[in-house]
Amino acid sequence: MASKLLSILATSLGPTQARLELKWMQQQARHPAQLTEMVTRRSRGEPLQYILGSQPFGPLNLLTRPPVLIPRPETEHWVIKLADRTSASPTSPKSLLDLGTGSGCIPLLLCHLLPQGSLRTHGVDISPQALDLAKENAAVCGIPPSSPGSCARNTRNTFTATLGNFLDPMFSEDATIDPPYDIITCNPPYIPWHEYLKLPRSVTAYEDPKALFGGPTGLDFYHAIAHLVRQTNFIRPGAVVALEVGHNQAQDVERIMRVHAHVRDTEIWPDPWGKQRTVLAHL
Amino acid sequence: MLSLSRRWLRITPAVCRFASSHAHSPSDSKNARIMRILEKRIEERKRLSSELSHDMSSSADIIRLKQLKESEPLQAAWDEYTRTRQLLDETTALFEDSDEAMRALALEEHQSLSTSLTSLISSHIPSLLIPPSPTTHLSAMLELKSGVGGSESSLFLADLMRMYLRLANSRRWHTSVVSQNENEGGGIKDALVEVKGDGAYEALRWESGVHRVQRVPATEASGRVHTSTVAVIVLPLVEETDSADALFSMDDVKIEVMRARGAGGQHVNKTESAVRLTHIPTGITVSMQDERSQHQNKRRAFTVLRSRLMDLKISREIAERRATRQSLVRTADRSEKIRTYNYAQERVTDHRIGLTLKNLSSVLEGDGLQDFIDALQKDHAESVLEDMLSAE
Ligand SMILES: C[S@@+](CC[C@H](N)C(=O)[O-])C[C@H]1O[C@@H](n2cnc3c(N)ncnc32)[C@H](O)[C@@H]1O
Repeated sequence: MASKLLSILATSLGPTQARLELKWMQQQARHPAQLTEMVTRRSRGEPLQYILGSQPFGPLNLLTRPPVLIPRPETEHWVIKLADRTSASPTSPKSLLDLGTGSGCIPLLLCHLLPQGSLRTHGVDISPQALDLAKENAAVCGIPPSSPGSCARNTRNTFTATLGNFLDPMFSEDATIDPPYDIITCNPPYIPWHEYLKLPRSVTAYEDPKALFGGPTGLDFYHAIAHLVRQTNFIRPGAVVALEVGHNQAQDVERIMRVHAHVRDTEIWPDPWGKQRTVLAHL
Repeated sequence: MLSLSRRWLRITPAVCRFASSHAHSPSDSKNARIMRILEKRIEERKRLSSELSHDMSSSADIIRLKQLKESEPLQAAWDEYTRTRQLLDETTALFEDSDEAMRALALEEHQSLSTSLTSLISSHIPSLLIPPSPTTHLSAMLELKSGVGGSESSLFLADLMRMYLRLANSRRWHTSVVSQNENEGGGIKDALVEVKGDGAYEALRWESGVHRVQRVPATEASGRVHTSTVAVIVLPLVEETDSADALFSMDDVKIEVMRARGAGGQHVNKTESAVRLTHIPTGITVSMQDERSQHQNKRRAFTVLRSRLMDLKISREIAERRATRQSLVRTADRSEKIRTYNYAQERVTDHRIGLTLKNLSSVLEGDGLQDFIDALQKDHAESVLEDMLSAE
């Protein structure tokens, strides 16, 4: 039985990966029929994370649900590093805006890792499904929304999320946006058109195209972010902007931040696989 | 304090008498050596209390008081020893008594006093003298690897693992299987189990080595007995919060991800969480892929790395102690065959201490394993004592 399932998985995944994934499915399946169903779905190309309904992200275990983008290990890596580099304390709490929050993974992990009462985060997304999932994830992780009336000090780190479109030129006028911010994080859709066609089916057939598509060159969203950063009083002096980028976009994004957002101090972090993955802009 | 010193002086000849008049057998001379060590400790106590200032004003007093408190059981044992000796002398005097009934009573009394004195010297006092092991409170990391014997070895590994999980359960240790690779033909190829709880390492460390099974495999039609082996490695488990960070510097650890991931990021949603650590100075590598997140695999890999380095440190310390004095303490050679489980004869033999239990199922499913562990711990305690005596 198990060996039959294993060989089904192995045809699409190879033997090593198949063994691991089968084990993870076995740990979750409540009865044999469910396991068989999981394996069938997986062999048709559905992402494991949607089948299992969750994905660990740092010490958190986040819910995953189509079509909201599955949190990636590259993102996990740079967010943990960002937490290490961020000094926040209840006496000087920081305010963070996450653009295109998806599952909420970035602000939720930062809320979890930084000292309680030192961080207030807000996520924006254009997708209602993403928003619902992000709020559920906050509840699952025990991260409360901030108390209304933003002057009140929170004793805990907080997360709120609202619908919004940060490509909209009037975005910063949105009532739910509360600048100035100390930290902007964003993993925007960054896949250019020509690469979209070459993506694996497990990505294109299951994950939201709106979460992936970055316009013809993949850089549309970075221009919008540069525009936001340049606005007066949108971010505090000394703020940091952390942007995840596609495998060959770091130089372009760094240039956009320098030329269009007038940032002089930038930095690029590699991911664990050696790709330039994150552009940091220090204001 | 004067009274203590006078009392001590008074009873000293008793010890000498004991040592000289009874030093015929090797065990007697050993007992005499044990008593000499105890005497030294009692002398130290005396010195410590004489150094206490009258008003307890100095900060060194706190340390002295603590040391005195720690050695209280030694003082109690010493007091009991001297009392028993005194009683013995008194009863000996009655051997000459004119009343026959009294003489008989004295003889009886003398016998029972001698017995308590012997057990005091040969077991209670040594247990107090042996320095507490620095690893007493550590949890353990249990690694099982199938050896020769193919599938049969994997099946036996599963049996051994159950045996350890059962033991842990009855000792109320908390276990979690960190990783485990099933064998296609049944059984388990290898496994890594965390055993958390006070004394887990201290008990399980004696399980390190090659375990051999002799039985007719369930799959063997001809009924021929096969011999297969499983290697067990028990490492001390060091929690992240322990002062273990001194074990290595982060700069010395190379962290690698195991596979190429193409463009990565949004382009790929395959789970690729395997991680490999290399501790450059020692060349120790640890790979971990059982968890779905890289972060978790990394944490687990670091736990294993800390255990390996801690283990290395412990064996290095043992080797150093050995080099400085002729130690009898045995280090576990992991390639050494330590135990045989013979199914046909229903017996288990530990080759290190030559102990055989004629009830195999009690070892695999009952208290038999604990018996082995007790015997091994006792054996170890004895060799530590030997070591201490020869260093005097
Ligand atoms: C690549 S996903 C990142 C999700 C999540 N932050 C992460 O790292 O896993 C991009 C997200 O941006 C959202 N998005 C796309 N266009 C947007 C827009 N114009 N305004 C706000 N959010 C948008 C998508 O719905 C998607 O959730």
